[in-house]
Amino acid sequence: MSATDGRRFSFGLQSYSGLYLWATFIIVFGVWKPDLFLTSATLHSVAAAQAVSAMLALGLLIPLTAGVYDLSVGAVTNVSAVLVVTLQTVHGVSMGPAILAAIATSAAIGTASGFIVVKLKVNSFVATLGMATVVAAIQTIISGGTQPFPPSGSAWTSFTQQTVLGFQIIVLYMLVLAFVVWWVLDHTPVGRYLYAIGGSSEAARLTGISVGRWTWLSLIASSTIAGTAGIFYASLSGPSLTFGQALLLPAFAAVFLGSTQLRPGRFNVWGTLLAVYVLATGVQGLQFVTGVQWLNDMFNGVALLAAVSFAVWRQGAKGRRRERATATDTQAEHPVDADVKQPVGS
Amino acid sequence: MSARSESVADREPSALAVRGVSKTFFGNAALSGVDIDVAAGEVHALLGENGSGKSTIIKILAGYHRPDPGGEILVASRALEPGSPDSAYALGCRFVHQDLGLIDSRSIADNLALVAGFPLKWGTVRDGELRRIARRDLARVGLDLDPDLLVGALSPAERTGVAVARALRDDASAPPVSLLVLDEPTATLPDAEVQHLLSMVRTVANRGVGVLYVTHRLEEVFQVATTITVLRDGHRVARVPVSSVSRAELISLLVGTEFDDVHRVSAELPVEHDEPLLVADALSAAPIDRISLEIRAGDVVGVAGITGSGRESLLSVLFGAHPRQAGTVRVGQTSLPPSRPDLAMRAGVAFLPPDRKTQGGFLDLSVRENMTISDLGPFWRRLRLSRRQEKTEVTSWIERLSVRPPAAEAPLSSLSGGNQQKVLFAKWLRRSPKVFLLDEPTQGVDIGAKAELHLEILEAARAGAGVVVSSSDTDELAALCHRVLVLREGRIVTSLAGSAVTAAAISHACLGADLGAGVGVDDGGIS
Repeated sequence: MSATDGRRFSFGLQSYSGLYLWATFIIVFGVWKPDLFLTSATLHSVAAAQAVSAMLALGLLIPLTAGVYDLSVGAVTNVSAVLVVTLQTVHGVSMGPAILAAIATSAAIGTASGFIVVKLKVNSFVATLGMATVVAAIQTIISGGTQPFPPSGSAWTSFTQQTVLGFQIIVLYMLVLAFVVWWVLDHTPVGRYLYAIGGSSEAARLTGISVGRWTWLSLIASSTIAGTAGIFYASLSGPSLTFGQALLLPAFAAVFLGSTQLRPGRFNVWGTLLAVYVLATGVQGLQFVTGVQWLNDMFNGVALLAAVSFAVWRQGAKGRRRERATATDTQAEHPVDADVKQPVGS
Repeated sequence: MSARSESVADREPSALAVRGVSKTFFGNAALSGVDIDVAAGEVHALLGENGSGKSTIIKILAGYHRPDPGGEILVASRALEPGSPDSAYALGCRFVHQDLGLIDSRSIADNLALVAGFPLKWGTVRDGELRRIARRDLARVGLDLDPDLLVGALSPAERTGVAVARALRDDASAPPVSLLVLDEPTATLPDAEVQHLLSMVRTVANRGVGVLYVTHRLEEVFQVATTITVLRDGHRVARVPVSSVSRAELISLLVGTEFDDVHRVSAELPVEHDEPLLVADALSAAPIDRISLEIRAGDVVGVAGITGSGRESLLSVLFGAHPRQAGTVRVGQTSLPPSRPDLAMRAGVAFLPPDRKTQGGFLDLSVRENMTISDLGPFWRRLRLSRRQEKTEVTSWIERLSVRPPAAEAPLSSLSGGNQQKVLFAKWLRRSPKVFLLDEPTQGVDIGAKAELHLEILEAARAGAGVVVSSSDTDELAALCHRVLVLREGRIVTSLAGSAVTAAAISHACLGADLGAGVGVDDGGIS
């Protein structure tokens, strides 16, 4: 059998429903509002506008693979954006060092979350939620509660807005990041360890994997990636005091929706990116049709609920199949646990 | 010894009457025409080794299994509907399993009420009434505890008592409890606690409830039971009053006197007497109590013992899967620190945990990923894992161990138990470890796969590895091992070697009989 056994190409809804949905959106909105929707301007703006969300989702993907939640990515993205701008405009730090400082801060936050999760053994959900709140407070300390002015100078804006083949360069950054995360998760031992830990941390420990170390590093990675995304956001759209938390939910929606795509049952990079852009296409199309304010939230919220429900339902169906399989298995091969041994003697 | 007379069973009304019940699983008879009679108010011990059909009969009583047509089960003289858990409950049959199903973080009163319901007034729990009912329930098993105590704060025997009290609780929708089945209630209790539990069992029986008491510990049988039913290989081999049987006779009934004709492949293996590969010295970790052992190249050493003897934890502690309280473990010249499976692996130790589903494998990952996770180094080429080389190695292991279906990309969960275990074997074999620690290596594995796994174990020993097999299956130990260490209460009490390694001898030693005592007693004389 070929190496693609587990994700054999099928026309079924199983693995590629996202692609079908995407095609449907494009056709429907293309027919409905061809002059607005089917333009390269729309393509470029959706691609760039979603690049930050996509990076956040890619960051989130790493700890989720190991079965750990990082709810602080939104807050980290935001504090990093505010920090990188404040350092430049208020403290007169030049662009390079400001960026490095923001990344280092994000990594430090990830290190602290990792410490709380791994060493203090606090549930990652609670630990990173608490960390998100602390980070929000730090952001207020840094900004003094007022929205900082973006740095003047073209270097800062062209950092993300310079165009390559019509796309803003941030899209390229995002793709590079996606490629790196994909390489790590799918082609290095580290990826195997993370999936193993996510599968069963006890089994991973008994296979000699340093569960604590990799869990910790995964949180540092998610935080660092979130911080980097924040820097890009600040350069692309200007700093805001509140955008980060608004990005958290769509990022989760994308990762979970992505886990139902391409390699169903597994968090995966390309499924996540697919999900980000399918959702964005839907939102964009609807915005051309109606101008209501609540559209974005409604769409992302419903998509998250639908995606996770679907994933859970699928997992349940798999579990039921497994139960049935093991039930017949034990009866056929070994009636009632250890209770029937080979007859000895005559 | 009990002074109570065997005639109790004849005078008292019947709590349970099992008549000619058989159960066949795909052509294998697990039970053949078994009879069991439990009188109201008596404690009736059900004895049998692993594989005797004991669990099967209990699962039939609980409605989990449907018996073959033909037999009959009466609970308090009313027929049990086969395969219906509701029917068992409705007839007044209650079960307390080894897993008590209590919630540690809640009070006794809450735990008792969780099943039967809370006393309410206007939708609010009536706390006074809740406590009153709890006290009454506890009194029924002879426990005098504050119902507000958290279950987690109780001693093990008290917790079992609470579980029994909960099982005996009145239920307006069912007749009074007539039969209580206790499935190895003392297996995990420390000795000091056992007496407390036994007195609770007596209290329950004195109230007129028939108690079917399943255990491996013979001392308790003599202390608490009136009558004994012994199962062996699916047959009832004896039903005797406790007063008329000696301990040695009982053991012979349990183990049988048949010759051990399992092919002893291991007997042909030479054991090299050079430096030991693995040395454990004064190892302690409850219930293990200062165990020392040495494993040499080519050795296949068995670890036997009843549940709670330390057999289940010895290998985990050696490997570092469970914490160690004291003692040292050395592999070659390397000393292994406690709780460091990674260092144990690096020193050349492989550990196959007893629970495949949560400790051994990654059910959602593929066969390939499960196998190669133990060492990815060989595939790391030019900054990526070479899928092709990985594939080649996995395919060769699948062929060598004949894993079915031979699908490297199938999730582990899609394989049968035996094939899952083969995959996990391959995961360790490919590291060529010096020492194998195999905990229940063939539990839940079909006969064919079991034989194949046994051959792999012996092959590894022949190639110069030291192998330790911990198993509750005495036949497996007899077939595989040069030497069997028998554990009781956390200590090695007997070491059998060479031709002395027979299933019967292992069982005797596990149960605490002097070697050979009672073997040869004719079963027929008693039953």
